[in-house]
Amino acid sequence: MTTVSFDPASADFGQLVQPHRVHRRIYTDPQIFDLEMTRVFAASWCYVGHESEIPEAGDYRATTLGRRPVLMTRDRDGSVNVLLNRCTHRGTVLAVEAGGCAKRFVCPYHGWTFAPDGQLLAIPFPADHPVEDYSTLSLGRLATASYRGFVFATLNADPEPLECWLGEARDAFDTIVDRHPGGSIAVMGSPQLLEFVGNWKLSWDNAADGLHATFAHESYNTLGEKVDTETVLARDPGSTPMVSKALRNGHMVVDQRPGIPQGPWETMRKVPFREPMEYALVNAGHAGLLNLATGSMVNLSLFPNLLFVGNQLLVIEPVAVDRTRLQLWLTSAPDAPGEIDLLRLRVDEDFVNFGTPDDLDMFERVQRGLSIPEMEWIDMSRGLPDGSVDGDGSTIYGPITSEAPQRRYLAHYTTLMTTPAVTRAR
Amino acid sequence: MTVAAASSSDGTGLARPAAQAAVLARYDELGTLLAGMDDRPRADPGLSAEAAPVLLHEARLLDAGRFEDWLAGWTDDAVLWLPLSAPAHPGTDQSLLLDDNRRLAERVEWRRDPSAWGQHPPSRTTRVVGSIEAWPAPGGGLVTRSTLLVDEFRHGRHQALAGYQIHELVGGDLERRTKILVMPALGTGVRNPSFLL
Repeated sequence: MTTVSFDPASADFGQLVQPHRVHRRIYTDPQIFDLEMTRVFAASWCYVGHESEIPEAGDYRATTLGRRPVLMTRDRDGSVNVLLNRCTHRGTVLAVEAGGCAKRFVCPYHGWTFAPDGQLLAIPFPADHPVEDYSTLSLGRLATASYRGFVFATLNADPEPLECWLGEARDAFDTIVDRHPGGSIAVMGSPQLLEFVGNWKLSWDNAADGLHATFAHESYNTLGEKVDTETVLARDPGSTPMVSKALRNGHMVVDQRPGIPQGPWETMRKVPFREPMEYALVNAGHAGLLNLATGSMVNLSLFPNLLFVGNQLLVIEPVAVDRTRLQLWLTSAPDAPGEIDLLRLRVDEDFVNFGTPDDLDMFERVQRGLSIPEMEWIDMSRGLPDGSVDGDGSTIYGPITSEAPQRRYLAHYTTLMTTPAVTRAR
Repeated sequence: MTVAAASSSDGTGLARPAAQAAVLARYDELGTLLAGMDDRPRADPGLSAEAAPVLLHEARLLDAGRFEDWLAGWTDDAVLWLPLSAPAHPGTDQSLLLDDNRRLAERVEWRRDPSAWGQHPPSRTTRVVGSIEAWPAPGGGLVTRSTLLVDEFRHGRHQALAGYQIHELVGGDLERRTKILVMPALGTGVRNPSFLL
């Protein structure tokens, strides 16, 4: 545990996140960042990877969870494990490649050997080593659970079941998965990795922000107009029937479907080589499947590290208080005609090239502005008082210009920071 | 594996019109060109000398922000491809971009739009082109491989990305039909890469 002079459990931390405004310090204070890596990222369920990435026994993928190197592995009985990527001898990181297939992990430093389920299999020259029970030296394990093939893990010593943690977010999650033929969704090989000089919460503030599309993405909407396409972001945010929802546990949903009655595909620009694929699908009587080539138009954000945007999974990886890495994974539809994934590849590039650069620029501008100590507060009051709330208060509905989702996730964040859960490796 | 073969075995029984087959063939051509680059024999010295001014001119246009002039140097069936790693295939692997002529033109328009915040103010770049090698292309023209270092300066920070580029140059003016830019940093984490062309 990091030792800090600042005490986030004190009453004054609550003053940093108020219902209508947020203090700059939660974006700029390295001590708060260090605590977040445990109180938020280690204590919450975090997305680690998708089962389709590790189909065979021995397949693994490396990633991080609150900066901790972790491995997602498939063992011989087919089960998925999430392990701390750290030899229990001296602490060496075992796997440094992004992924691969390994029947066992052999530490390159002194040869300790581990199974894909984390068990210590062998120590060289065992006669010299006093350990009798190898099970005490297994790799650190995380609690692991899957939903619809998406693997989540946590170091929380007593996590609520994954499905409960997802709660109302399961509706949107199911919508995103079920639109794929056979409910079959997979994740393509390698992600694009983008970094920005800013705090990880800036990408979170942006994820359910329906207002910024009009201003930050003006250039994307202009490109659409030039080819007679009204992109989904070009709708008047003040009058569109699109809905944003703030859910329990900081999850957020922006449902754009009510604002695009003609369906998602009609909002898509003329991406390269679109027409031949489109004609092939239409000629084969599959015109209705074209909507699969672009996103579901339901943006789901699962706090703290997974955003469903279009057909991408955007995984937020905090690097430092002012440095964030975004993993952009593209999903595929294995049971759909091949044209769908061929189109998805080009559709995916469209916003990444003509929209994401503008978001990245805004994040860096905000971080720079927040460096000014004399200007302490960020306004988060738009849409107050919060609009309709369902019966048990678990969901707040509002227009997409409302900052209710930001307020709600920050309230959950404050709870995590001020009432820390016990975290440990298993 | 080729995309044409993979998608004809997907069990949907879809008809494959000629236009679609042509796209898949182009994708396969790109994947094969990239995959085979390391196995090429020693380059042709005369062709390499012929290619050098073309590649250096392109670098100068891009560094100077003369994007319209740069756009004029592409063929009608042009493809600019930035895979995330190599080898890769444009029909099976995520890329940073794969532009046809239409999107190349849009890219230049986007660079000129003052509300394209990701490039306004624009990146100041310096390209260093080196190790130029060229071979005759099967359909006439040249195939070249050269190393590329791009130093970018923007918002008071700079980043330097190194990699290599493959060009297929055709016709009397050696127009660009194909350009593949391989920047390993794209697979490890790079700041706003919208200056890469």
